[in-house]
Amino acid sequence: MSSLTMLTKFESKSSRAKGIAFHPRRPHVLVSLHSSTIQLWDYRMGTLLDRFEEHDGPVRAVDFHPSQPLFVSGGDDYKIKVWSLQTRRCLYTLNGHLDYVRSVSFHSQMPWVLSCSDDQTIRIWNWQNRSLICTMTGHTHYVMAAKFHPTEDLIASASLDQSVRVWDISGLRKKHSAPTSMTFEDQMARANANQADMFGNTDAIVKFVLEGHDRGVNDISWHKTLPLLVSAGDDRLVKLWRMSETKAWEVDTCRGHFQNVSQCCFHPSQDLILSVGEDKTLRVWDLNKRTSVASFKRENDRFWVIASHPNLNLFAAGHDSGVMVFKLERERPASTTYQNQLFYVTRDKHVRSYDFSKNVESPPMLSLKKLGSPWIPPRTLSYNPAERAILVTSPADGGSYELISLPRDASGAVEPTDTKRGFGNSAVFVARNRFAVFQQATQQIDIKDLSNSTTKTVKPPHGTTDIYWGGPGCLLLITPTAVVLYDIQQKKQLAELAVNAVKYVVWSNDSQYAALLSKHNVTIVTKNLAQVSTLHETIRIKSATWDDTGVLLYSTLNHVKYSLMNGDNGIVMTLDNVAYLQHVKGRTLYCLDRAAKPKLLTIDPTEYRFKLALVKRNYDEMLNIIQNGSLVGQSIIGYVQKKGYPEIALQFVQDPQTRFELAIECGNLDVAVEMAKQLDRPKLWQRLSTEALAHGNHQIVEMAYQKLRSFDKLSFLYLATGDQEKLTRMAKIAEHRGDMTSRFQNALYLGDAENRIEMFKEIDMYPLAYMAAKAHGLEEQCQTILEASGLSEDQIVPATLGEALSPPKPVVPTYKANWPTKGTSASIFEKALLGQTEGLEDDLLAPAANGYAADNQPESSAPHDGALGDAEDDEDAAGWDMGDDADVEAESDFVNVESADTGAGSSEADMWARNSPIAADHVAAGSFETAMQLLNRQIGAVNFKPLESRFEEIYQSTRTYLPANAGMPPLVNYVRRTLDETDSRRILPLIPRDLESIVTVEMAAGKSAMQKNKLEEGVQTFKKVLHLLMVNTVASPQQQQEAKAIIHTAAQYVLAMSIELERRKLTSNSTDLSSFPDDVKKRSLELSAYFTVPDIDPAHKTLALFAAMNFANKNKQYSTALSFANALINRGTSAKFKESARKIKALCERNPSDAIDIDFDQFADFDVCGASYTPIYDGSPSASSPFSGVRYHTKFKGTVCRVDEVCQIGAPASGLRLFA
Amino acid sequence: MDPYSAEGELVNIHNAYHQGQYQKVIDFDTSSFSSSNAFPARILKLRAKIALGQYSQVLAETKSQPNNPDLAALHCLASYLQNSSNSDAPVSSARNLAEKHGDNLTVQLCCGTVLANAGANEEALALLAKHQGSLDAVALIVQIHLQQNRVDLAAKEAKNARGWAQDALVVNLVESWVGLREGGEKYQQAYYVFEELAQASATQSVQSLVGQAVSEIHLGRLAEAEAALQQARDLDGGMLMSQLESVALKHQMLEDIAAKKQAFDAACAKYNPKFEP
Repeated sequence: MSSLTMLTKFESKSSRAKGIAFHPRRPHVLVSLHSSTIQLWDYRMGTLLDRFEEHDGPVRAVDFHPSQPLFVSGGDDYKIKVWSLQTRRCLYTLNGHLDYVRSVSFHSQMPWVLSCSDDQTIRIWNWQNRSLICTMTGHTHYVMAAKFHPTEDLIASASLDQSVRVWDISGLRKKHSAPTSMTFEDQMARANANQADMFGNTDAIVKFVLEGHDRGVNDISWHKTLPLLVSAGDDRLVKLWRMSETKAWEVDTCRGHFQNVSQCCFHPSQDLILSVGEDKTLRVWDLNKRTSVASFKRENDRFWVIASHPNLNLFAAGHDSGVMVFKLERERPASTTYQNQLFYVTRDKHVRSYDFSKNVESPPMLSLKKLGSPWIPPRTLSYNPAERAILVTSPADGGSYELISLPRDASGAVEPTDTKRGFGNSAVFVARNRFAVFQQATQQIDIKDLSNSTTKTVKPPHGTTDIYWGGPGCLLLITPTAVVLYDIQQKKQLAELAVNAVKYVVWSNDSQYAALLSKHNVTIVTKNLAQVSTLHETIRIKSATWDDTGVLLYSTLNHVKYSLMNGDNGIVMTLDNVAYLQHVKGRTLYCLDRAAKPKLLTIDPTEYRFKLALVKRNYDEMLNIIQNGSLVGQSIIGYVQKKGYPEIALQFVQDPQTRFELAIECGNLDVAVEMAKQLDRPKLWQRLSTEALAHGNHQIVEMAYQKLRSFDKLSFLYLATGDQEKLTRMAKIAEHRGDMTSRFQNALYLGDAENRIEMFKEIDMYPLAYMAAKAHGLEEQCQTILEASGLSEDQIVPATLGEALSPPKPVVPTYKANWPTKGTSASIFEKALLGQTEGLEDDLLAPAANGYAADNQPESSAPHDGALGDAEDDEDAAGWDMGDDADVEAESDFVNVESADTGAGSSEADMWARNSPIAADHVAAGSFETAMQLLNRQIGAVNFKPLESRFEEIYQSTRTYLPANAGMPPLVNYVRRTLDETDSRRILPLIPRDLESIVTVEMAAGKSAMQKNKLEEGVQTFKKVLHLLMVNTVASPQQQQEAKAIIHTAAQYVLAMSIELERRKLTSNSTDLSSFPDDVKKRSLELSAYFTVPDIDPAHKTLALFAAMNFANKNKQYSTALSFANALINRGTSAKFKESARKIKALCERNPSDAIDIDFDQFADFDVCGASYTPIYDGSPSASSPFSGVRYHTKFKGTVCRVDEVCQIGAPASGLRLFA
Repeated sequence: MDPYSAEGELVNIHNAYHQGQYQKVIDFDTSSFSSSNAFPARILKLRAKIALGQYSQVLAETKSQPNNPDLAALHCLASYLQNSSNSDAPVSSARNLAEKHGDNLTVQLCCGTVLANAGANEEALALLAKHQGSLDAVALIVQIHLQQNRVDLAAKEAKNARGWAQDALVVNLVESWVGLREGGEKYQQAYYVFEELAQASATQSVQSLVGQAVSEIHLGRLAEAEAALQQARDLDGGMLMSQLESVALKHQMLEDIAAKKQAFDAACAKYNPKFEP
């Protein structure tokens, strides 16, 4: 009965699998395990992509979102987790279930997640705003499964209370209407607005309760299109239910499992039901007859879960030790091509044809419904054009074949009338009127005629598994380890080739070659079964077809690739889905997809055509491709160079270094020059000069020598080419350079005796000068030399003089043109490229396939000629003749030898000092001296010691040290506050501790010290504030004002606290003055009063007044105390203090007099001197610090301010600048 | 094939060197390298040892090879760095090597480093200018230009290198160095380069993390910079300021600070504050 086979694609080993979900598009499957892990597998590659381990305890369900990169999981930790596939992280957790979560799934359109749990509820959650939007109660035991209907607003649930329920959720949908027209925010708002009434059950109504199982129900599934449900229960039954608008009823039961049935589902495209159970079986049932179609058993593993792919013909089942991904039917459509026609069997078992020349699909021609089993598609198709007949084989029933005549006109899926059938695993036409049928069980091949009678029987080699057409009158017999070419007539083996497990054979269009496809290998053989090449693929090979030129195109699971006869191969394109290649024509690749539909893919054949052209030496084709195609890429360049065609490689290379090498290799000096200019390195010029010299291209040699500053070589070159003018210039250059040897040489080349004599004289070599003059008959010169050396002619013993040497004069202006000595660009290819091949066509291009068409040549004539021919003489030579410019350059360089563009520049820090009038910026620049000058001018600063740490701090925090080259000091970089500025005239340094940080840190700390009566600490803190602000910068004029206010306040605090500290020091901090002498008493009381004078915060002033009041009161200074009490009552900020002030006021008013007369006029306005702590009344002379503003008696003028410790009292000052 | 190109044998070890992964360079398995690349790889390993301060090891390994210019150059650099206070001998030997073997890349790099360190920047640049397409040389040239505050020349050199070495690691690095001087948008670009290196576990090193931190400081992102430095510190096992002194006595920053202290005192001395009337 069962020949339905399980084609396993992937198996994993793990602990018990409880939940499975297929990714809708990628070859990924999620598996949740009883061990708390969720695995993400690539089932195509068989690799574990990721593991997710956040659940605590078993994870019973997972689901992918149909379109978003999300998945959801639910487990025994009562939690539902939503995960991002992109970050591979859990995004959030939905809490609410009070017991194990049994199933979770996404809605296909709404942002909903459906879950059910042992807490007897079914819940719907909005995963966008993460809220629970509906709770369905009614089941009276664990709810094991809940599923959304694929299209309608229905939910089906299965429970251990033995019932299946169908729920209507259209109310809920209405409430959350059309999600597509709403923004996320709208949905949020709406969901929140309605939240209150959303927990009731009115949104979901029980529509039907299906009773029939007499044990708990474990699973329920919807049919994709029909109103059918299938359920699985602990009563070992699978039940089928039907539903109408108004009622639902049980249709039938599938019996067979002998243990609890865990899960069940419908086959997505066939009338089948699949179920899995704890009896370790996976069963397939006929939906219409409710009979068992197939059963697959595992030895030791109970099945827990089954899932079907949403789009593909794939299933996955989870069991005690992992997961298996499988198919139930082969998807490779049976097909064959004959010339321009493709014959194939569609999914619904119709035979159709497709015309490649017209790109037209025929209507169905035949129906094969009756062939084999209804669930099993035909395996192979063989076509006989002479008889217009087809042979179809089916694996059903142990293998059968059918011979059918195709109708003349395709007029619909008619049932065939005259068919011949028989048993056999393979059947192929071997001649016009013969076909071969192979039966694996009997290991026999019958050769039959068209009336289906056996004419001959052949015994194939042992272990034969399949047969293919093997050329006229021959068969290819496939065994697990070899392929045999068998001649049917002679009944003998012609050849044998050891190739493992060949699955398919694809013949080239001219039947000269065949490709043998195994799972991971492609072997190309000749028609005589001689191996041509072989290649290996790590990914499974699916199909192949031949291009007309003899290139094999083959498909793997995810690529279309090509292979040349020589085994060179590469990728043509990437595939998203499996494609069974059938035919290729130009840029169009014809294939059948898994649904057996013809598909046209557009490919770019450039790469393989180019390689093929190279192999076949078809320069015309290569030229064509290079000129039209966009053929680049490292691989092709390497390929071409490796094959020994540097000049071709040159056409593709962009990297200048490589271009240079290639250009030298193939003698293309133009390109070499261009690249040498670009790279400008001595070694390259060196090589270029050598190469150019060999080519006789002395103009390039000249340029190279100029670049190299090879003066001697240049001179010699000019001598050799007879360029007198430049030689003269070289002499001048030598003179400028002070290079005597060179000068001598040039003079010699030029025959310039005068110059030589001059030179000898310059270097005091009078004898040589004399000899030279004498030899050239320059008597006058001789006399001058004798005079200069104080000798007369008789004192000299004259040497024998030879003949004066003079260089030959150039006859021909050789320097004006090159003297080609070496034929360049001998490559046919390059000439082809330059359009010079007409003459060469016959002898050299003969092996090329098409010869040369003259019409694609003439236009492309010599746009960049090599070094050949006359064309370049004038124009190009003029172009190269850069001698003048270069010489001038050389001259000027050597006249001002040291003016080169090197040497150190000024650092960014120097810029800062230049760009700013602010002292802090100068400190940052490291220009301490100017910083001090600025401070001196602005605020009369004279004592800088207290600022040292601030200077250091600013200086250090404006530099970073970046490690660069090992062995070198780090690179110093300069930290800016002008982040976006790149104009060096406007960049400024970052000054640490801005106004805001000073206010929030130091000012706050100082005031808190006041509050806590820690005055020593307070004084230090406020002084620090003063120093920080003194060397600082702010962002705006407003901030500058703010800073000045803070300076004032901080200074006043310093003053106030210092006065109080002075008082405490005087009396060692005792409040009772009775034991002290009068002057101490008096001073003490005065200081206590002065403490209330500085301009500090009202709250703190209150403190000072309160202390002074109590101190005065205690020491019987009732009048003074009264004035403080009044002040407290008027201005105080503390109710408690006011209360106590009122009491003291009442007390003092009785006797408003002071025991000791002190220098404190409560009614007069005065400041306290910062040095003497005595009053400075308004109008009396004083001096103040330009920075802190604290006043002093005039005698302190010229000393350092006691408060800010930096500035000179009474110094002239322009005012602090913090803002540029 | 260029051994430093993307498919070349030396590319990974060379990149590791420039990423500051010196230990990785030393541990690199080079046994399968072709014979022509084995020696350059050995040179790189020795340079990595020098970078890690393992001078005596390098000195021992290069001692008996005075006729091999590569090893002699390494010897010269190691002895210079080991004791830079007594620098006369190594500097003159560097000059000597530069004279005789100026075309040798190792000589260019090592002696260039010595000369630049000794303040002979122009000599170093002249020597390095002889390189034939070495990114290591470019890196040194760029650094010397930057140290001379010639951002214009450094930028030109970097741009030139991009012309022939495209997107090589060193090209990106030197552009970042230059960028940190140029500022503006270049800060962010430098950050991207360092961050990419620093945050991939394969390329992470103290050097790349410090690079990331430095660029973040320049971008005003101090908290992030601190995090990167913490990462660097964790990676390194804690290199604190106080340790800096023992590790790099001549670290520029410490020298600079000392010099500035003197400058401060000198500037102070021009004023004569009076404290009592």
